[in-house]
Amino acid sequence: MSAIEFAANGVVYSSIIVLGSIGLAIIYSIAGFANFAHGDTMTVGAYAAFVAFGIIGGLGFGVLGLPIGFFLALLVGIAIAALVAIVTEKIVYKPLEIGSIGLLITSIGVAFVYRAMIQLGFGADANRFDIPAQRPIEELIPYGIRITSHDLAIVLSATVLVVAVHVLLQYTDLGRKMRAMADNPDLARASGIRTYRIKLWSWVLGAGLAGAGGGFLGLYNNLNPRMGFSVLLVIFAAVILGGIGSVYGAMLGGFLIGMVVEMTPLLSRVGIPIGVDYGPAVAFLIMVAVLLVRPTGIAGDGTAGGEGI
Amino acid sequence: MGQQAGRESEMSDRFDIGAYWEDFTPIERVLTAALGIVTLLLILFLGTGRLGPSYFLFLFGLGGMYALLSLGLNSQWGFTGLINFSVAAFFGIGAYGAALMTGSNSPIAGGFNPIFGLLIGLLLAGIIAVAIGIPTLRLRADYLAIATLGLAEVIRLFLQNERQWTNGSAGIRGIPSFFEGWPILGEFPRLMPGLEIGIIPGTAIVLETTFWRQLLNVSLMLVFLGAVFFILRRAQRSPWGRLQRTIRADEDLAKALGKNTYRYKMQAFVLGSLIMALAGVFYAHLNLFVNPGDLDPITTFYVWVAVILGGSGSNRGALLGGFVVVAIREGSRFANDIAFIPLDAAPLRLLLIGLLIVLVMRFRPQGLLPPQRELIWPSAVGNKAPSGPDKGVPQSDGGDPNE
Repeated sequence: MSAIEFAANGVVYSSIIVLGSIGLAIIYSIAGFANFAHGDTMTVGAYAAFVAFGIIGGLGFGVLGLPIGFFLALLVGIAIAALVAIVTEKIVYKPLEIGSIGLLITSIGVAFVYRAMIQLGFGADANRFDIPAQRPIEELIPYGIRITSHDLAIVLSATVLVVAVHVLLQYTDLGRKMRAMADNPDLARASGIRTYRIKLWSWVLGAGLAGAGGGFLGLYNNLNPRMGFSVLLVIFAAVILGGIGSVYGAMLGGFLIGMVVEMTPLLSRVGIPIGVDYGPAVAFLIMVAVLLVRPTGIAGDGTAGGEGI
Repeated sequence: MGQQAGRESEMSDRFDIGAYWEDFTPIERVLTAALGIVTLLLILFLGTGRLGPSYFLFLFGLGGMYALLSLGLNSQWGFTGLINFSVAAFFGIGAYGAALMTGSNSPIAGGFNPIFGLLIGLLLAGIIAVAIGIPTLRLRADYLAIATLGLAEVIRLFLQNERQWTNGSAGIRGIPSFFEGWPILGEFPRLMPGLEIGIIPGTAIVLETTFWRQLLNVSLMLVFLGAVFFILRRAQRSPWGRLQRTIRADEDLAKALGKNTYRYKMQAFVLGSLIMALAGVFYAHLNLFVNPGDLDPITTFYVWVAVILGGSGSNRGALLGGFVVVAIREGSRFANDIAFIPLDAAPLRLLLIGLLIVLVMRFRPQGLLPPQRELIWPSAVGNKAPSGPDKGVPQSDGGDPNE
C-alpha cells in the first residue's frame, strides 16, 4: 500500500473520530467533566441505526452506494443517542452532588450499563449493516487511492455535520449561549441564560454527533458492543491534542489523530517495526508528548482550565 | 469473605467488645451482622460439602488479591486523589513479571525461583509508574485518568502482540506455586496426608494436595495483605500521610504550605502501583496461568468499585470491597442457573458493576465504611467516637474535621 492510500484511509477514519471528538469536547466544556460514556454513546447510536435500518430497509434508490434508508436510519441513531443522553443526564447526572471527578467516575458506570444492555440485546458478536460492500471507485485507482463510495459518503456526511456545528456555534442564538456558558457558566446564568436548558442542548448535540460517528464506524468496520469503548481512547487523545474543551481544537485534533492511527504502518518503512495494532498506542504516545510540551493542546488558550469553545 | 468479620475486630485498638459495639455507626453494625451471616452460610456450605474447600480457598485467595489491589488504588485515589485507570496494567505487569521469570514456557527466562519473579515484577511496575507519572502528575486530575487508561491499553496491546517475548494471547503456562523449591514449604502440599472429614454422615470432605497448596496460597496472601495493610496504616497516620490527604483535599493549600506536591503525588503513585504489582505476582502463582485477557480494563473498574463501595480513603473499606467484588464476579457465574430468563454472565456482570458505580455515587458517595478512627493515632482521641463521621463527600474527606 502506498503512502497516499494510507492517507486516504486516514481521512475516512479521521472523519469518524472528528465527529466523536467534537461531541466529547462540547460535553466536556459545558457539562464540565470527562465523559467516559461517550464511546458507548457512539455504540448506542450505531445499534439504534442498525435496528432502524432493519425496519426501514433500503427504500430503493441510493446515494453513493448507500440506500437512502441508511441515512434515515442514521437520523434515528442520532435521535436515539441524544435521547439516551438526555435521559441519563436527567436520572443519573443531575441528582448527583459531587464534583467533576465524581461525575467522571459515574460516567464509567453509565458506560458499562449502556454496553451491558447492548450486549444483552444483541450478543457479543459483530453485526453488519445489510448493505453490499462496494468496490473501490474506478476513477481514483490510477492515482493510487482505493476508497469505496461508502468511504466517500462518510467523509462528505462528516463534513456537512462539521460545517453545521460551526454554523450553529457561530451564527445562532443557541450557539452563542453555548459559547457563553462554556466560557463562564456563572456569568452566563447572571446574564439571563437558562443554563440547564443549554446543558441539555449540549448533551443533544454532543451525543447526536457521537451517534452519527457510531453509525459511520459501524459502516466502516462492523458493529460490536466494544466498538465505542475501543475508539474512546483515540477520541480522548484527539480532544487533548486539540485542547480540552475547544471544539475547533477537537476538529483539528481528531483529524490529526485519525491520520496518525491509520498511517502508523508507514513507520515500519522508516525502520520502526510497528504494526497497525499499535495505532491507538501511537495516538496515546502523541497525546502524552503533547501533555509534556503543551498541556493546553494546540488550540488551548493558555489557561489551565481550557475554557471556551 | 466471611473471614472479614475476624479482621474487623483486629482493626480495633481496644479489645473491649461491648464498648466497641457501642461505638459502631449503624452501618457498621449492619455490615458486621451481614458478615456474620455470610460466615455462617459459608460454614454451612463447606460443612455439607456443597462448596469444595479447595475452591473456597481459591476464591478466598482471589478475594484477598482484589483486596490487595484495592489497597493499592486506595493509597492513590483514596489518600492522594490520583485517578489511576491503569490498575489492570500494573496488576498485569506484576503477573507477567512473575510468569516470565518462572513459567515453563516463558520465552524469556523461565525456571527461576519465584522470588526473582516477585522482584522483577515490582521493579518493572516501579519503573513504569515513574515513567507515566512524570508527564501526567503535574496536570489536572482528569488528564491522569485519560493518560492512565491509555497506558493500560498500550501495555495490553504490547503483551498481546509481542509474541517473541510474551507468547501473545496464548499466555504463559507452567508457573510453579510461590513456594516451589523452598526447603519445607515447597514439599508441604505433597507431604501432607489426604484427610477425610465426615461432618454429615455419607458426605465426606476430602482434603488433598490441592487443598494444602491453596492453603499455602491463602497464607501467602494473608502475609502480603497484612504487611501492606500495616505499612499503609503506619504511613497514612504519619505526617507523610497527612500531607497526602491535604493534597487530596486542596492541592493549592499544600503548595502554599511550601510542599513539593508533585513529589508526594509521585511517591503515592509508585507506592500504589507496587502494591498492585504485588497482587499480580500473587495472581500468577495462584492461577498458574496468565494471558493478556487478565489485563482487560474491566479488572481496573472492579477495583474502582471495590474502593468507592468500601469508602475512598478507608483501608478496611478497601478490604471489604475487594471481597464483595469477588462475590459479584463469581456470583454472576451462577446467574444462568437461577434466572428464569437466560442471561449471559459477562454482560450481567458488566451491568451489575455499572449500576453499582452509579448507585454508590448517587446514594452513598462516601462509601459503606468511610474513613474514621483509623487515620488518627489512637492516643489522639478520647474514648468517644467522633461525631457525625459518615457525612461528607469524597472530595472533602481528606480534610476531615476530626483530625
